[in-house]
Amino acid sequence: MSQFLQYLVNGLTIGAFLSLTALGYTMIYGIIRLINFAHGDIFMVGAFAGYTVLVAAAAAHVPVALIVMAALVAGMLFTGLLGVVVERVAYQPLLSAPRLAILISALGASLALEESARLIFGAGFSSYPHLLPTAGFGVAGVRLTYAQVGMFVMAVLLMVGLYLFVHRTMLGTAMRALAMDRDAARLMGINVERIILLTFFLGSVLAGAAGVMQGLYYTQINFIMGFLIGLRAFTAAVLGGIGNIPGAMVAGLLIGLLQSFAAAYVSARWTDALVFCVLILVLVVKPTGLFGERIVERV
Amino acid sequence: MAPLSRSSALAGLTAAVLLAAGCGGGTGGGEGGEPIKIGVPVPLSGDYASAGEDILRGARLAAQDINQRGGVLGRKIQIAQADDACGAQVGAQAAQRLVSSGIAAAAGGYCSTAALPELNTFHRSKIPFVMDASTNPQLTEMGFAEAFRTIGRDDQQGPIAASFIVNDLKAGRAAVLHDNTTYAKGLADAAAKALQQEGAQVVYNDALTPGQADYTPVLTKISGAKPDVLYFTGYFAEAGLLIKQAKQLGADFQMVGGDATNDPTLIKTAGPAAEGFMLSTAPLAQFLPAAQDYVKSYQQAHGAQPGPYSVYEYDAVSVVAEAIEKAGSAEPEKITQALAGIKGFQGLTGTITFDENGDRSDPVYIIARVEDGKFAGYKDLKDGQWVDFG
Repeated sequence: MSQFLQYLVNGLTIGAFLSLTALGYTMIYGIIRLINFAHGDIFMVGAFAGYTVLVAAAAAHVPVALIVMAALVAGMLFTGLLGVVVERVAYQPLLSAPRLAILISALGASLALEESARLIFGAGFSSYPHLLPTAGFGVAGVRLTYAQVGMFVMAVLLMVGLYLFVHRTMLGTAMRALAMDRDAARLMGINVERIILLTFFLGSVLAGAAGVMQGLYYTQINFIMGFLIGLRAFTAAVLGGIGNIPGAMVAGLLIGLLQSFAAAYVSARWTDALVFCVLILVLVVKPTGLFGERIVERV
Repeated sequence: MAPLSRSSALAGLTAAVLLAAGCGGGTGGGEGGEPIKIGVPVPLSGDYASAGEDILRGARLAAQDINQRGGVLGRKIQIAQADDACGAQVGAQAAQRLVSSGIAAAAGGYCSTAALPELNTFHRSKIPFVMDASTNPQLTEMGFAEAFRTIGRDDQQGPIAASFIVNDLKAGRAAVLHDNTTYAKGLADAAAKALQQEGAQVVYNDALTPGQADYTPVLTKISGAKPDVLYFTGYFAEAGLLIKQAKQLGADFQMVGGDATNDPTLIKTAGPAAEGFMLSTAPLAQFLPAAQDYVKSYQQAHGAQPGPYSVYEYDAVSVVAEAIEKAGSAEPEKITQALAGIKGFQGLTGTITFDENGDRSDPVYIIARVEDGKFAGYKDLKDGQWVDFG
């Protein structure tokens, strides 16, 4: 029983990172019907932005909590702006072009980000300084670390914040209106271009936060780290019903649990295979996902 | 313009040949004075050029030391290099060039891919080949009398690690984890088999999916099997994460890694949790007490720490010189016979005795441990007993 609970806790931790990343996929898809393949790499850039701040701050004698917050904020702001730049350069000129053009542009943006990071930081691994405490505590035979709890709470707070923003503010309402019908939204006086940019900004901020948190918690980062987590987060977004924000949050946690329980009851060598089997199954059996409403293809 | 430059090149070449012949006659002064050539085929171009350069430095330092002591049979040792570019075809040509230049023996090689055709070429000319870096088991199992090596074999490491885990760490229950790459799986299989032969119970033997950030699920699974030791045969990136996360989970088993975990990235990733992590590996020159002078003179000459294999090349050249001394002749066939009879030669990397295949009968693998944020030699197998390293 305590082992089962331990798998549950492990899975939720993995899932929290996936949920944060999956939100960006789902928001951007909801707004412009684009699977943003560069999103995983935005996550990677976030990790490196935080790394740069931490390495620079290591020389100065600043309290650890302050350094961590500075890295997190810097990572989020930098990726937010990078998301806006990528949208402006690679996607906006193609918004009215055939869907395939913008998809290929997204792949190009992904490669450009990866290779830039490789040139700047090298092909090897970089290591975050070990700032988070490794200490922990046991509850009912389950082992938790304070850092783990902190990361999970942080992820939940960011997700709740996003949910409130989307559902309780004018800008959020505008975003939802845009997701429903771009032309009608424009007729209602919504500045479509600005709302699209805002969506990229928010999605990228969350990915950047996840990147810095990943670096802080796992310490090991490299230029290709966004690829796999990007694919898994995309799977979560599809499972939750792509375009559906609460769906992405829940599905991210589910994929995390799947990874954990796959290692427990099948074999750790099958974790990725099982995750991507889920992707295929959902696409074939229920393309709208667990929580997705039926998407009517507009002509 | 073209004919002129060709003729001037020709003139230069003729002059060079005459000069070389003149030099040979001048310094020779009789049969005994002519240097004995040892051929060193290594990659000197391409991706692995730095490794080849490092090995060549080891060979030159060995020749320098031998010559300072007066050479062998009153003659000097001369190193003849050839670039094999880590390729099969270029390797065969490089070996052929060395054979034509009249080498008495060969000592070197880096990539097993190139070492194989080189060994074939040397075998046809009956020239002994002592390999310093190629660990593929096949090389010494083709029945060639000319094949020897001063480095270990991939399939020796598993049994050594198993012996350490059972006899020194006194583990009754062991878990084996790999990452499904050919090398790591081979090592894991060999280790699991040897662990059972040593009398330990293998309570877990499976692979993880490399490239993840979180291995707590697989670690929880392993913890559930209650092993005393976890032997991980994959690479350093995963090993660093495993060490850190095992600590976070409060796992109480000792982690031991294979030689692919020998990389400073592991220590950076795992941080303080890396202290006490152990690994089976061929020792670096820096670990070896007998090689400290070598490390110093290498640093003085090249301003850098020696790479992983140059000290094995130093021993390869030294053992060839020893064989020439013993044979009392620089004839290749006699050197081969003398090499086969080498027993208890004190090299920098330990005692060298060749078995019937030409492999070292005292394997070179040791157990290293992370101490104060650095890899350091920890335990060594001597006469079937695990003793403190050094």
